Amino acid sequence: MTRRYLPHVVGALTALAALSLTPGLASAASLKGVFRISSGSYFRMIYPGGGKYFTNPYSADTNKTYTLLSAGSGGGLRTGKLQPAPSPAFDGHGDSLAARIIQPTDFAGINFGVATIGSPPNVSVSAGKLSGQVNAFTAEWNHLTFNQGGKVTGTYNSHTHAYVLTWSSLISGGPFNGFTGYWHLKGTFVS
Amino acid sequence: MPSRKRRWAVIALGVLGIALIAMPIAFQMFERAPKGARMIRDFRPYMTASRLDGYQTEMSQINAGVGEGGTKVVARLFAGTAAQRQARLAASFPGFVEFEHQWAGIYPDMSGMLRTIQRNLGNYRAVAALPSFTLFPWFFVIPGLILLGLLGFGLSFPGRWRTIRWTLAALGVGLVLAPAVFQMFSRAPKGGQMMSAFKTIETRARVERIQGYFGDMAVGQGAVALELIPALQRSGLGAGQIDADYPSVTTFNQQWVHVLNDMTPMIGAMSDNVVNYQAVAALPPFPLFPWFFVLPGVLIFGFALGAGPGRPRHVRGTSTKNVSSSLPQGVR
Repeated sequence: MTRRYLPHVVGALTALAALSLTPGLASAASLKGVFRISSGSYFRMIYPGGGKYFTNPYSADTNKTYTLLSAGSGGGLRTGKLQPAPSPAFDGHGDSLAARIIQPTDFAGINFGVATIGSPPNVSVSAGKLSGQVNAFTAEWNHLTFNQGGKVTGTYNSHTHAYVLTWSSLISGGPFNGFTGYWHLKGTFVS
Repeated sequence: MPSRKRRWAVIALGVLGIALIAMPIAFQMFERAPKGARMIRDFRPYMTASRLDGYQTEMSQINAGVGEGGTKVVARLFAGTAAQRQARLAASFPGFVEFEHQWAGIYPDMSGMLRTIQRNLGNYRAVAALPSFTLFPWFFVIPGLILLGLLGFGLSFPGRWRTIRWTLAALGVGLVLAPAVFQMFSRAPKGGQMMSAFKTIETRARVERIQGYFGDMAVGQGAVALELIPALQRSGLGAGQIDADYPSVTTFNQQWVHVLNDMTPMIGAMSDNVVNYQAVAALPPFPLFPWFFVLPGVLIFGFALGAGPGRPRHVRGTSTKNVSSSLPQGVR
């Protein structure tokens, strides 16, 4: 009896799984290219426990808890490919020399830069919503590296290619242990 | 009767061997001791007299800069009575004034913490001179295994019991001497003092407070670099004049990157070792450690002697060779 019904049960389950997965697969498209960084992109650092933002006196914004970001030599964040830091990654002062994704930016007196180290970022779009991961995203500052990877969410306009990509990442270990970095990238996507 | 004594001595030796093996497991030494080793290693770059003096100097420089900013610079920039100047300073440079207030709490706390660390430099060195913490559980397990192995050998080869007894006695003497060889009697209490002194430093709350100070200091330096010094320039002073007339403000500003380079990794080491410190603090107190070697050593030595053949003694109506025992002939 069991043998007779087994193929039917397996077939039904497979069909059910296919039905539930098909809509997602059909509309989710991987975006491979560069999320160009333009004005409106920023980074904020939240103190452990939340509720208070780190003030960067050298920020160009009037609200000094926002550190504004501008495009680096690569135009912005590339998906599907890594943008590693150069070697050496820092100058003698501890200023980051990683300048592909963003222009190194003054943070409390020392420039920080970002690089991608590890598995390349991967972002998909589905019905105008962005999702994916930037696990390789790494902030570099004062001879130190901080993994700032995480799951990204955002919006994407397929007509104008305008996007907004955000994520937050808890810093684990080191002098900023317990702080959370919040990243907000804005601009246009170029494949 | 003597054979019963010997049998108890052998049993006691077996119990001691098991206890030596079980002790590191009971105290979770295999997990905690390597964390202690990591803490000692991570603190090493910062636990030097010159590095700690350097931190104190940096704190003093910032203190002098804040003091000069709130007095001499204010006198240069604003006219009127002291109260009027302060009011105008608060209105013009609120970031600096806020930092001035914060610094009044930061400076004593930070320099006090550094003094505590400086006072414990010798204690740290004493602990760092001990064998690596990672080895500590093995200092118990290995003698325990040797002890049990020798007992097992003795039970299997009763004819060798005499040699084995003396080897056991030597093992006991070795355990008694080990703390003296490693200078544990002087070093371990110093480690205990260091652990007590760091009790209020190596906590998550304290580290987060220092992280907060770091943020406050960054804002304060920004106020000096981006507000006070440009204001002095606008008042007609050149860069050279500012350097000459306001040396403390200039030093604070110029040394800031050096302070960041120097202090940030130390805060990182403090933060990363909160868990390691807690693991070490959960171990038995440091001053007891030498005795964890001496006491088993004395007992092993004593029981090894007690497990000897003894003087043949006649028991009324019987002889020693007729005393029943489950132990092999040589062990009796």
